[in-house]
Amino acid sequence: MTSKFKALLFIAPLLYWQTVIAAETGTALKNDTLRKEPYADAKTGGSLTRGEPVDILKKQGAWLQIKTKKTTGWVRLLSVKRGTSTSGNQTAGVLAAASGRAGTGQVVSTTGIRGLNEEELKAAKFNETEVKTLEGYTLSADEGRQFANAGKLKPIVFANLKAAKGDAK
Amino acid sequence: MNIRKNLLISTLVATVLGTSSMQGLAFDFKGVLKDAVEKELGEKPVTTPDEASQTPADTNATDSTSATKTSEPEFNWKNPSKEEEISLGREIAGNLLGAAPLVNDVALQKYVNSVGRWVASQSERPDLPWRFGVIESDDLNAFAAPGGYIMLTKGLYRKLSNEAQLAGVLGHEIGHVVKKHQLKVLQKQQLLNIGAGFLSGKYAKDNKLVSKAIGTGAEISARSLDKSAEYEADRLGLSYATRAGYEPYGLTEVLQTIGQTNKNDSSVALLFKTHPHPDDRLVALGDAIGNKLDNIKNGKTLENRFYQLKN
Repeated sequence: MTSKFKALLFIAPLLYWQTVIAAETGTALKNDTLRKEPYADAKTGGSLTRGEPVDILKKQGAWLQIKTKKTTGWVRLLSVKRGTSTSGNQTAGVLAAASGRAGTGQVVSTTGIRGLNEEELKAAKFNETEVKTLEGYTLSADEGRQFANAGKLKPIVFANLKAAKGDAK
Repeated sequence: MNIRKNLLISTLVATVLGTSSMQGLAFDFKGVLKDAVEKELGEKPVTTPDEASQTPADTNATDSTSATKTSEPEFNWKNPSKEEEISLGREIAGNLLGAAPLVNDVALQKYVNSVGRWVASQSERPDLPWRFGVIESDDLNAFAAPGGYIMLTKGLYRKLSNEAQLAGVLGHEIGHVVKKHQLKVLQKQQLLNIGAGFLSGKYAKDNKLVSKAIGTGAEISARSLDKSAEYEADRLGLSYATRAGYEPYGLTEVLQTIGQTNKNDSSVALLFKTHPHPDDRLVALGDAIGNKLDNIKNGKTLENRFYQLKN
């Protein structure tokens, strides 16, 4: 690895975040209607086709302002997959660098990375000491509530989501 | 105890024989047995009656009693008690920890248990002795075992950027435990084994033991659940985190991040093999959400107190 390349790795995270702000791209996850404003009852203006590439301009609450080839409008957050699939590998690498993961190249990853594949799971032996340690961390409901209070988390009433109609998955 | 179990076997066998008496030699015993087992598990709730009367105050007293390897007690596969469920989960969690130990960072583990405990308190089973752990692996994955044992990898934790996202991930796993997804798979399989063994004359007491049920090492943790179970856990996880006061979209942000990981990256190999693709999960969640979150405001992300990994 040349020192020039190493230097590049250091500035890569900065570049990444800049591009996010400048123009994040995405892909439509489903067919949807574009709206003029970020509200469910706002006027419609154009449509989105599944798989269509978009530019993400702005996020407001649970809405994204996007630009398609034809027009600009608002859609719900979950109608768009953020990032492009083709640059997935690169993005993963840059994200890893940004999050402080030691080393970013493929070569480094074979040494430091500890996987958890099927073979390793199959070969595993029961570890009593570790289970005891895990059980030692068990908290009471009261302790959980205190932690929530410290973060000013307020429980709200919200019914469990049900599967969408016709969604037998 | 034994009478109850024999009754089950008798019922199953009676069903099989009753249905099969008029049929030829090529009759599919296992198929009918499977139907009978599914009927048994489906018609009667698997929850124990005493569970409903439990209060959150009992939480501290319900620590599992560990079953020693040498004198493993029999297991009521038809209708396991909460204690049996926990002892099964303990076995599975212990095997998983044998593959990847806990990250040696007490503050991290305490933090994850605090978030997890609060989210679990919003679930339908607040009385379980919930425990959470971050394990040493750079894979992206999380695991739930019956009775409230939940673990996520350090690799996945590293991808998170706030507490709402952690709450969403833990909520998904809590959903698996609440709905007894893994327990039901094991129950079905064991009742089939016991029944088939009985029919073939090889009925062994061994089949009722936990260690026989979960197989070699932690391979059970590498198995897939039904896709529908994963979608259900997504919906529940998001619902619990939302009830807990968090910003509701934490789980979906994590799914977005995972979806951006190259599918050929070995760190997501097992996750992608055992779960529907993140894109499909996002679409299913989006459809389930519809406009239901439109009036949910002031949910917290709490990135300020999100615990930063030391390495």
